[in-house]
Amino acid sequence: MKSKPINPSETEPSSTGALIRLVADLLESGDYGQRVLEVDAESVRVLEMNGALSATIPIADIHNARNEPVVGGGRLEVTTKKGEKLALISYTHTIAARFSEAARGIEQLAKGEELLINLKPQRTHCEKCKRLLPEVDGICPACVDRGKTLLRIARFMLPYKYWAIALAALAFLTTVLNLVPPILQGRLIDEVLQRHTNYPLLYQLIGVWVGIALTSSLINITRDRIVAKLAGSIAADLRATVYRAIEFLQLTYFDKKQVGAISSRVTTDTDRVWGFLVEGVPYFLLNGLMLVGVSAFLFWTNWFLALCILAPIPVIITIAVRFWKPMTQMFYKVGQKWARFYIHLNESLNGIRVVKAFAKEDSEFHKFTKRNVELQEAGVKADSRWFTIFGAMLFFSSLGTIICWLVGGAMVVRKELTLGEFYRIHAYLALIYGPIQWFAAVNNWFSRAMAGADRIFEIIDMEKEAYRLDDGVQHDIKGEVHFEDVRFGYDKSNPVLKDINFVAKPGEMIGLVGKSGAGKSTTINLIARFYEPDSGSIKIDGLDYREIELQHLRRQIGIVLQEPFLFNGTVAENIAYGKADATMEEIVEAARAANAHNFIMMKPDGYDQMVGERGAKLSGGERQRVSIARAILHDPRILILDEATSSVDVETEKQIQEAIGRLVAGRTTFAIAHRLSTLRNADRLIVLDRGKIVEVGTHEELMEKKGVFSKLVETQSEIQEIIGFDLGQAEAAK
Amino acid sequence: MITPTSDNIKLFHEPKDVLRMTVGDQYSVVQIEPRWAAPLSHPGQLLGLMNSKGEEVLLVPAVDSLSQENQEVIQRELDRRYLTSTVHKIVSAKVEFGATYWTVITERGQRDFVVQSLQENAQWLGERQLVFVDIDHNRFEVPDIDKLDPQSRKFIDSIL
Repeated sequence: MKSKPINPSETEPSSTGALIRLVADLLESGDYGQRVLEVDAESVRVLEMNGALSATIPIADIHNARNEPVVGGGRLEVTTKKGEKLALISYTHTIAARFSEAARGIEQLAKGEELLINLKPQRTHCEKCKRLLPEVDGICPACVDRGKTLLRIARFMLPYKYWAIALAALAFLTTVLNLVPPILQGRLIDEVLQRHTNYPLLYQLIGVWVGIALTSSLINITRDRIVAKLAGSIAADLRATVYRAIEFLQLTYFDKKQVGAISSRVTTDTDRVWGFLVEGVPYFLLNGLMLVGVSAFLFWTNWFLALCILAPIPVIITIAVRFWKPMTQMFYKVGQKWARFYIHLNESLNGIRVVKAFAKEDSEFHKFTKRNVELQEAGVKADSRWFTIFGAMLFFSSLGTIICWLVGGAMVVRKELTLGEFYRIHAYLALIYGPIQWFAAVNNWFSRAMAGADRIFEIIDMEKEAYRLDDGVQHDIKGEVHFEDVRFGYDKSNPVLKDINFVAKPGEMIGLVGKSGAGKSTTINLIARFYEPDSGSIKIDGLDYREIELQHLRRQIGIVLQEPFLFNGTVAENIAYGKADATMEEIVEAARAANAHNFIMMKPDGYDQMVGERGAKLSGGERQRVSIARAILHDPRILILDEATSSVDVETEKQIQEAIGRLVAGRTTFAIAHRLSTLRNADRLIVLDRGKIVEVGTHEELMEKKGVFSKLVETQSEIQEIIGFDLGQAEAAK
Repeated sequence: MITPTSDNIKLFHEPKDVLRMTVGDQYSVVQIEPRWAAPLSHPGQLLGLMNSKGEEVLLVPAVDSLSQENQEVIQRELDRRYLTSTVHKIVSAKVEFGATYWTVITERGQRDFVVQSLQENAQWLGERQLVFVDIDHNRFEVPDIDKLDPQSRKFIDSIL
């Protein structure tokens, strides 16, 4: 067993002339440790860290190489030209993507192709503090350049700079005004109360005090109103900037990240940033000024007494710093328990029909009680600890007051201090302990805000889709789509499509057929340019589609998906999604063509009917017809139908088929259908198997050929017969 | 063709990285991949032997029902295919900047990892069994938190 933690990013560049050199993080025994994969033009080798050669295989003998995913990691496998499979080296998930890329490189070399791989080193640890990064190639929250980031986020204040300046000025004024009442009170004690005379001065000082209280209140109201305005505006600007940046990110980013994680950048991270900008910065100024101002005043009044009463402050700071982290951890744990509690509550309420149907009320209540008790215990523990720490801090704060009375009282008795001066110092004490506690906690707040800001800037700075290429061509598509030697893989070492060649003529309907995983959906993803080929090209009307401006290209492509996505809005808004300026007549006409008009008219609000979140208030068939109407109105030159009729009943399917018949007329169409018989109208069928085209022809031609397609049809017919037979038997049994 | 059972199969590597199975010396399945049906809740039980098409050839009820020789061969293959680490001790655990940082000692050695979003990536399987999935999707299993030392349990208790 090794005791030294392994840093998997230690993938130093080749010093031996190898074309690829990667360090794996697992030994042959499965223990963590390092082994090296070296590839040159002649061979693939596995070396131990002491230089001993564990395996070698000549490149000339290799047929293919792949990253074989295993539970918790991967292993590099090569298949020789004799068909022998060899597992060369294992690694954890941390570095699996790099070995996947190496596998692609080995294949390229084995085929005598140019080595075209991207082995950019992954950063898993912070270069500065060596701490593990919370995201590969991400930022280290402990080492973010806070000054630089703060300056960058401060730019979001630029449009509101006058408001920000006003805010700072008001913070300064508040500080100054807060210092005045104790002075007035001191004078009142010394010059009025102790002398038992001088009414005019009493009224005068009270008058000034009222004026100050009024001014202070007005300033506070104005300040809070400015804070509200700045908070709202900056939060909206930040969210809009991040959302806009996310919209243009490449789809590969969305493949890797969960939607929740992406949304949290728009919500949590932006909240942290504006929260600190708008609430943190002014209080930073206010409390900072207060601390300096009051301390200076205290020392100016009596330096010895000031020193005495400030003596407990280091203890308070120590307590705050010492216990802040464990306290945060405890509140974090409470957050975890809340999350578990919510998950269970949501699940059991959403699934209440199932709970009742299985009579599982008791067991669900048992689970609920468990989560509830967990939450209660964690909450009680965290709150008890918090109140203990808070109590201790309060004690030391009150110790300052006691010292003030002890030392200050003695000084008053010895007439070294007037009663008024004593009172003033006493009043300032309260103004100093509040900011001290605030500063003890602000570092954590600041760090989180800066880490949030960096995550936001990471998105803003990320490479975007070439959506509006300056040199992109504006091309009005006629409809010819040409796949030329196209190869593509989501994991580049495991291509999903290989050597794809075909030409779809303008107006032609192409059916894409094949088993699940054959590459049908990937083909249409490439046509819509959600991804681009790894090699080869896709040409539209003879033009490489990467040269066409992306936004212009996508405006001419329409997609009807298996699970149509409708946005929360009215039926009319959803139909007009692709053509915002559509007239009501055009919308109705599109709905008629999509066989949607009649059901829409039966809704209480007709075309103004709200469809609900993701179209939940409509049935599957209704959603599908709205999405077809949307595609009809969008009037694309290239149309993609992805299993558009797979999840509806036979009658609805008939209506959808009719609608599709009207939709495809005159457009180049690519259709995937679960029921192969629905592709009977396609001009040609392209049959895919394991990422390769195996047959092309019309429905009849392929049936006559008795190849892959005919087998697929037979299998499907048999299954339908069996289902039909079973249903028949069931009916007979009744 | 006879049906494979725990008693009539012979497992061996041929060539060295490919698991092969012969059934009663009558026929051979040239590529076998062992897959646990429930590796976390029922370790050591219900082992599926799948062919290269991903179809189950045999479901072994418990690994110890196989011959000693077959157990050794299958264990070698399982070690290659299951890289989940079992946590023996937690050296440190802390929450910082919204993520949790762990240093653990596993049967494979010491490892540092980061877990984001604990409610999603610290999965409880029953009362005392826990699986962490780190930011790279590596998995770290604590089969029974009661069997950890007090300090390790304290780390878990302070965070989860």
